[in-house]
Amino acid sequence: MLVVFCTKGALSKGCQEVTRAFTLMSATMKLKQGSFLWYLYLDKLYCLLSVRNVKALLEYFHLLDVHHNNTLNDVLFYHFLHHVTSWNRTQIMIVFNMLDWNAMGEIGFDQFYMLVCILLAQQNHLEEQFIFRHSRPVFELLDLDGELRIGAENFHMYNFLFNIKKQDLRELYHDFDITGDRRLNYKEFKLFTIFTMDKYQERQKAEKDKDKGKKDLLKKKRLHHVNVSLKQFLGINVSESRL
Amino acid sequence: MEEKPFKASLGSHGSDKSSPDNDIRNLWTRSTLSQPKLNVPRSSVGENSDMEGGGISLKSRRWYNQKAGRDSDGGWEERDDGEDKGSFKQEDLNESSLLELELRRASSLGSRLGEDVDSVTDTEMSSSESSLSISKHTPHRAYWMEQQNRLPLPLMELMENEALEILTKALRSAAPLLGRPCSCSLP
Repeated sequence: MLVVFCTKGALSKGCQEVTRAFTLMSATMKLKQGSFLWYLYLDKLYCLLSVRNVKALLEYFHLLDVHHNNTLNDVLFYHFLHHVTSWNRTQIMIVFNMLDWNAMGEIGFDQFYMLVCILLAQQNHLEEQFIFRHSRPVFELLDLDGELRIGAENFHMYNFLFNIKKQDLRELYHDFDITGDRRLNYKEFKLFTIFTMDKYQERQKAEKDKDKGKKDLLKKKRLHHVNVSLKQFLGINVSESRL
Repeated sequence: MEEKPFKASLGSHGSDKSSPDNDIRNLWTRSTLSQPKLNVPRSSVGENSDMEGGGISLKSRRWYNQKAGRDSDGGWEERDDGEDKGSFKQEDLNESSLLELELRRASSLGSRLGEDVDSVTDTEMSSSESSLSISKHTPHRAYWMEQQNRLPLPLMELMENEALEILTKALRSAAPLLGRPCSCSLP
């Protein structure tokens, strides 16, 4: 049994300054080895946690919730992410502002769960699959202004979260901006996730074929060696019998 | 959790009465030694303790029943639910026979006040022997149901240590700002 996300309502937030700061940033996040999150795992198909994992995560959340509000404030949130990830202060605050979709200054367990799933997806290189499976929540997270459209600056800002490369972004806006307004609505974004997922699966298949090809080559070589040695052996026997 | 030793003989009725602070959680220790009590339906666990004269409080009984109710609803993963269903089916088969035993026991307990202890012990021992073979298959059921709800201890330790580190760092960063009119700021 897997636990699904709760989607947020669209709220207006301006983050243009931060967008500029993150235009060129594309650091790969790594979870701290041996930390609690490091031991969790996502279901590879649906990119969600199992009930058992969520139960443990809830316990962990309650341990951090020292004020017993069922929330984490910005200080606790910062120190949590600073401890378990390699993100810097600015990145952490961007994530906090993104998840604080009610603008309460606190993060509840729903948002915390979504964050953990995003972290684990990145850790296990499941970004494409995650965006495909949860396109609606991801779209709403990226839609900062609440206009039901995502501009290129939004993608740039969250580049470090979903590992979307520049080349992919260019393709995205070139191929999927059907309306031509240089922004993506949900349908266009969904098409992009399907396309990315197809590419990901093709890549997986190509890697499997490559591995399979290598194994076949090895087998052929071994067979060849065996044949050669057999021929040599038989050749010796024939010559002995002739003698 | 304190586990008070249970006296196997059902003639210890008086001793139970004298210890009114027995925790409901001790029932799982009792259930192994008191054969008629094994495989008792959850709802009747608290009633049994009352019949014995044990001082188990109403609150703890409700807590136990609620906890047991959550367990049967499948708070764990699906494979565990499958196992629980299997054990509950077995329990269903045993329940009818156990209910009879309980009724007999209840009547014996009710009449115990004016009866000889030995005669009561004999009747209960005979009934307990018949349920012994059934009870051997599901020992410590209440204990394991409670344990299923808990997270593994090494995991708890890891979580607690990590949470402690994070909270200590948060306190150190926020401590200089405590008491000031402005809200806490990040380092």
